[in-house]
Amino acid sequence: MAETEYKDYLAARILTENQPVTYKLLSRALQVNVSAAKWMLFDFHQKQNTKKPNSIHATYLIFGTKRTVSKTNGTNGRSGEDVSMRSSPFMSSVPEPEEEEEEPVKKSTILLVREEELAKTRAEFSEEASIHIYSLEPGPLENLNILASCNREVNSKFADTDPLERWRVYGSIQNPYIKRRTAKYAPPPTAAASAKSAAKPAVKPTAKPPVAAQLRKEASTSSRRGSASEDNTSGQSTPQPAAAPSILKRSDSTKSVSTKNKTAGDIFKSFAKAKAKPKDAAKSNEPTPAPVDDEPMQGMSEDEGDDDEPGVQVDTEKIEAAKKARDERAEKLRKMMEDDDMPDAPAAEEKPSQPEKAETPKEDEPKPTVTVQNGRRRGKRRVMKKKTVKDEEGYLVTKEEAVWESFSEEEPEPKRAKPAPKPAAAAKGKPTGKKGQGSIASFFKKA
Amino acid sequence: MAGNMLKGAPFGDAPSIPSRAESQYNPLHTFELPKGTEKNYAHQFADMYFLRLAQLKKAVKQKAHDAWDDFELGGEKTTFVERVLDVRQGELCWIVGTVYMEMALKPNVLDDISKEHWIAAPPPRETYVSGGQDEMMLEDESGRLRVTGESLSSTYVTGCVLAALGTEQADGTFQVIATQYADLPRQPERWERDDAALTQAKKPKPTRGKAGKIAIVSGLEITGTDDDELSLDLLLEYLAGEATGPPTQTLTSSISRLIIAGDSLSHASPILSREDFAEKKSKKHAYGYDASSYNASPAERLDEFLSDLLPTLPITLLPGANDPANVALPQQPLHPALFPKSRLYAEPPAKTNETIHGLDAVTNPWDGDIEGYRVLGTGGQTVADLLKYVDDVDALEVMEMMLRWRCIAPTAPDTLWCYPFQDEDPLLLKDCPHVYFAGCQEKFGKKVIEGPAGQSVLLVSVPRFRETGQVVLLDLETSEVEVVEIGVVQPGS
Repeated sequence: MAETEYKDYLAARILTENQPVTYKLLSRALQVNVSAAKWMLFDFHQKQNTKKPNSIHATYLIFGTKRTVSKTNGTNGRSGEDVSMRSSPFMSSVPEPEEEEEEPVKKSTILLVREEELAKTRAEFSEEASIHIYSLEPGPLENLNILASCNREVNSKFADTDPLERWRVYGSIQNPYIKRRTAKYAPPPTAAASAKSAAKPAVKPTAKPPVAAQLRKEASTSSRRGSASEDNTSGQSTPQPAAAPSILKRSDSTKSVSTKNKTAGDIFKSFAKAKAKPKDAAKSNEPTPAPVDDEPMQGMSEDEGDDDEPGVQVDTEKIEAAKKARDERAEKLRKMMEDDDMPDAPAAEEKPSQPEKAETPKEDEPKPTVTVQNGRRRGKRRVMKKKTVKDEEGYLVTKEEAVWESFSEEEPEPKRAKPAPKPAAAAKGKPTGKKGQGSIASFFKKA
Repeated sequence: MAGNMLKGAPFGDAPSIPSRAESQYNPLHTFELPKGTEKNYAHQFADMYFLRLAQLKKAVKQKAHDAWDDFELGGEKTTFVERVLDVRQGELCWIVGTVYMEMALKPNVLDDISKEHWIAAPPPRETYVSGGQDEMMLEDESGRLRVTGESLSSTYVTGCVLAALGTEQADGTFQVIATQYADLPRQPERWERDDAALTQAKKPKPTRGKAGKIAIVSGLEITGTDDDELSLDLLLEYLAGEATGPPTQTLTSSISRLIIAGDSLSHASPILSREDFAEKKSKKHAYGYDASSYNASPAERLDEFLSDLLPTLPITLLPGANDPANVALPQQPLHPALFPKSRLYAEPPAKTNETIHGLDAVTNPWDGDIEGYRVLGTGGQTVADLLKYVDDVDALEVMEMMLRWRCIAPTAPDTLWCYPFQDEDPLLLKDCPHVYFAGCQEKFGKKVIEGPAGQSVLLVSVPRFRETGQVVLLDLETSEVEVVEIGVVQPGS
């Protein structure tokens, strides 16, 4: 099947793009068994170098037993034996079994070596169990670490294939006992939205798709999505703890243009996400449950103006909705922190109670009153005062208490008067989003 | 040679590699701390010493009785003295107590407090030993007794319980002529626990296949930078059975579990080491958490590594000194939030706290049954700390000492951070393991020790992968140990 395909791929990759190729990358790109990929590399290496000597370089991977005398380089001496040889000076009450000391520990070595050092290295092996070409590259590598980039590529481009089926195609060792939980997908806001968003991220990350890779990727993405949309069509009533995030992730990521970071633990992401999401929720005007903070978001959305815009055009409804969603999230987040084990938070049940919860804190807050007269501001404000009292045992105890005090001071700038008439609105609006509730998000955000 | 993959077209069919055997895995939860608010750090550590002495005294006394009851010195019979303070001068007797080492270089909590006022902190200590100035004492509920004697030199450390035979000298010190310790406890039979569970459930015993090997690696010390990538990739490809040729791959397929014994990440401990702290402090003064200094890439890399390996190999993951777990022993499992990808292979924590086939994040120390054998393992802190008390002793000997003292962290809570256990100290050894491994050691080592009742324990010290490239393979069926070293020949060498 891949009779010529691999030649084209290798030629394009090595000769044209000047990039190294490992057997693993080749097997993923062509969807062949790793063993076949190893043969292909060798075949290509042979044929190219007979055509044009030294046009392609190789690195080899050797597995075998090194000669015991190979202590010449000192670094990998068989330290294992030394340990058991030394008879312990104490614990002498227990005689050590003699025969155990002579028993050497079997030691095998896996070495990655360039073709320049191959002959020398092979000579060090007393027994060579296997050898194959690890990678091909256009010229001798100065730093073998470059090969790691191939594996990064494997991970970034071919990550979507079902890992449990990997052995079938690529020939890694199968383990029939391993189970994988399905990632939690939740009913997306609308089917249309999910369809739209599914398509986009699939195309985006692939920079230079080799041969069939792109197609495959899309296929696999949509197949994964398939299961999600099934959930969706089955209606919102499904109390599946599977949750919204993965879909929301997509729709989010269409906005947040962070390709580079598939970052960090979800906690951080869910914090960062706080900014992007409320608008979403407000827009779609759907009573869908807010996302459960379980699944990774595509990335920490960096400062985008998203949230700020509605703040400028004073659209109270939007702000209100945003605020509500945020509170909802904060509440959920708090719950999550309390439960040590990150529950799969059945969001649907909590939903009805959310609005009230969101309102309450506002009502509780006493409003500082400020009036401005003749360039002086008067009013009451809350200040923290230190109070020292003697307790019953005679110790001095210092407490901080919030006290209302009236004040009167010079008007600092006339501008400051503006927010004064509507302190409540200000509290709801954008500034608090930054300083109050939302501050925890900015706390985690990269400075 | 079947392993020679250096052949060109025409390609035949790819060789088929046998699939892995099931890992018979039955973890214990000995070292799990209570959750949430039930975790109480307000207790005094004195209780731990009390508990230790109370629980071990019986065993130590038994050993001492056996050894010394018939012992006579100059026509004088030995007697047991219940309390160390009741020892009479000149009388030949034996006592049981907990060792306390007074060492000039040992960290001291009072020093830590006064350190605030020092201009320069003392350098971190490689050892606590300072020739000549160190004193040893035996203590019990009544008090402390200074002990001396040849038989004690550099073999005991703070926290171990022993019986000492000797006489009190004119200056009040107790001259020791012989000592006894508890020695290995009972060793469970193979499959004992599994069989007991089956009997209880009235199920027949299954016919069990041949046990697979377990691979132990420690000290991956992932930094997330490029320089450690390649060896990590090679390790992954080797364990997943992708690298190397068919004969080797077939051998690899007999590995049925990977244990990662600590220090998977480098510099990720929530409490900075002295050096890290000094470095950070010199950089800038920031208060509170600095989000910009957080680097997620090591954790992501680890997650990726695990999730790439998990489809083919179940993993038991112990935290270590450098990992983002709690620093006090026993360290609790690494939080699943660190592993957004690989936690899909773990049971949801809400449901159960163990995963048989998949990623099992466990405590450090950890014990459990693998293939029916009791396995006890640590991330290596206990060994490293004990090594600071003694000279010219290697990790394996220290591990042996721990088992024979029946205390796997004798130096906690003195010089090793530890949870203040109140009623029950899991760090005391109840059952003798079949395999005892310690991660993050300087070099590989193995040793078989035997106990008085025919117990046989395989001790394995696992070196850091980052430094040695070594993976330890353990065949439980035959108790054979193998080392696989993964390396890269640097160009021009």
